[in-house]
Amino acid sequence: MSAPLSTNELTKVYNLGRKKGTKTALDSLTIDVPEGVIFGFLGPNGAGKTTTIKLLLDFMKPTRGTATVLGRPTTEPATRKLVGYLPEQPYFHKFLTPTEVLSMHAGFAGIDRREIKQAAAAALQQAGIAQYADTPISKLSKGLTQRVGIAQALIGDPKLLILDEPTSGLDPIGRRHTRDLLVELRDQGKTVFLSSHLLSEIENVCDVVAVLKAGKLVACGPPDQVKEQNSQVVIQTSTVGGDAAERLRFAGVTVVDDPGGSALKFDVDYLYRVVMTMESMRLPVHSVNTQRESLEEAFLRLAA
Amino acid sequence: MRPIWIIARMSVLENSRKHVFHVLCLLTLALIAGSTLLSIFTEGVQVKILKDLCMTSILFGGAALAITLGCTGIPNDVESRTIYPIIARPISRAQYVVGKFLGTMLTVSMGVIAMAAVFGVLIASYQHTFDPYLLLAVGFTLIEVCVIAAISTTISTLASPAITAVLTFLIYICGSIKIGYFGGLIDRATSGFVKVIYAAIYHALPNLECFNLKTALVHHDYVPVAYLAQVAIYGLCYAAFVLFLGTLGFARKEV
Repeated sequence: MSAPLSTNELTKVYNLGRKKGTKTALDSLTIDVPEGVIFGFLGPNGAGKTTTIKLLLDFMKPTRGTATVLGRPTTEPATRKLVGYLPEQPYFHKFLTPTEVLSMHAGFAGIDRREIKQAAAAALQQAGIAQYADTPISKLSKGLTQRVGIAQALIGDPKLLILDEPTSGLDPIGRRHTRDLLVELRDQGKTVFLSSHLLSEIENVCDVVAVLKAGKLVACGPPDQVKEQNSQVVIQTSTVGGDAAERLRFAGVTVVDDPGGSALKFDVDYLYRVVMTMESMRLPVHSVNTQRESLEEAFLRLAA
Repeated sequence: MRPIWIIARMSVLENSRKHVFHVLCLLTLALIAGSTLLSIFTEGVQVKILKDLCMTSILFGGAALAITLGCTGIPNDVESRTIYPIIARPISRAQYVVGKFLGTMLTVSMGVIAMAAVFGVLIASYQHTFDPYLLLAVGFTLIEVCVIAAISTTISTLASPAITAVLTFLIYICGSIKIGYFGGLIDRATSGFVKVIYAAIYHALPNLECFNLKTALVHHDYVPVAYLAQVAIYGLCYAAFVLFLGTLGFARKEV
């Protein structure tokens, strides 16, 4: 069975005009998003995340390469029948109410006329804004409008959700609600393609992450795989200076002086060598800790 | 068809809230009301003058509505990004363009019908009877407005609202003087190449004069049914072809 979302050498080159030349926004992106996972799509500003989403939804044509959504080419409108999309900072006609927006999208999604109201109410309930169903969008806050966008993406029971910064503008309660909703959707067997800058959220909910840097894919896999495999060991000791510090650095240790003494940071692979060196120098061990790279650190290492 | 109607409905709701729609409708209604004052001074031909002035007002009002609403519909959606969630749905770009056009056309029709209703009441108060020619003249004005709205919508898929408005207005003016001006230019051209260029412009421009049944309304001239049918088919086909070009242009547009 084909992946819900797949790209092959997907490339987008923007023509900036005769004098400015071209800019490669996306360079040979090849990814396969497995079914029933939350796929985190990371990258700094201008890395090509939104360009990728626009190519997946046929908002623009790729310069090279192909993409398929639910096993069909992205150029066919019917492909999007089972896709829910939340744009970054969604905009709706301000004179409409959330119910009217969702009824319109329910119509686009091909929901039967008699079931539209019910589907709209269910989506609003899922997004946690049922009480604002008949309030004009112009009267809603940014966070509530964002939730209307989430409800809009859920209408039509999509198999694949493409969400661009879903928690943007949401308060902590809204963020938590959205995070729980994403997990619930994944548990229902839906695939979620999530583009976000909030690395802590990605780390909490994503099963697979991909990191883009300047249009190129620099890492892709489960978060634990993307993060540095080797843990760091931190040994707290008395102040180390002069030749001792030099010997430790030679053994692969980063010596950081702090008020209580010195912290020796090194890769877990060097543990035996470092302990032997400390023993030979009669350095005391005050405490031993291990540190694993967070997704944020991995992101900074990969994309900065 | 369903997505087209949903987009058209949304477009009507959006257009009917625009200030320009209200201003143009009120301005035209004021012109129609003002025509009664002008016709007071021309005793004997009051009704004829009234019909002439009112039909001209309705035609210009309708054309202005078609240009302003047609040129802003799609670019505003792209600019405000309200288009994204819509075209992410299983609808084609062609359906989107046709829906926006229909929405524009329905809104313009609402305005023109309101103007025509006031005009009809005025004429009835003077003639003490309903003039059936009025329906004919307004009907063909709507077809003319349909052609203008199609041109405006098509150009707006590729250009900014300002450029669209200027180009559509130029085409409207040229289309209104096509037979008299461009027809003469072809005859007067000496070089074969220039003749071909003039002929190309002549045939590409819509013949908007043929929709103008003002004279028939004023003088109650007989207009053959075959001619009316031919003109109506011409107008609808021209609008459909122009709109088809618009859908082709918008299908390639990156949003």
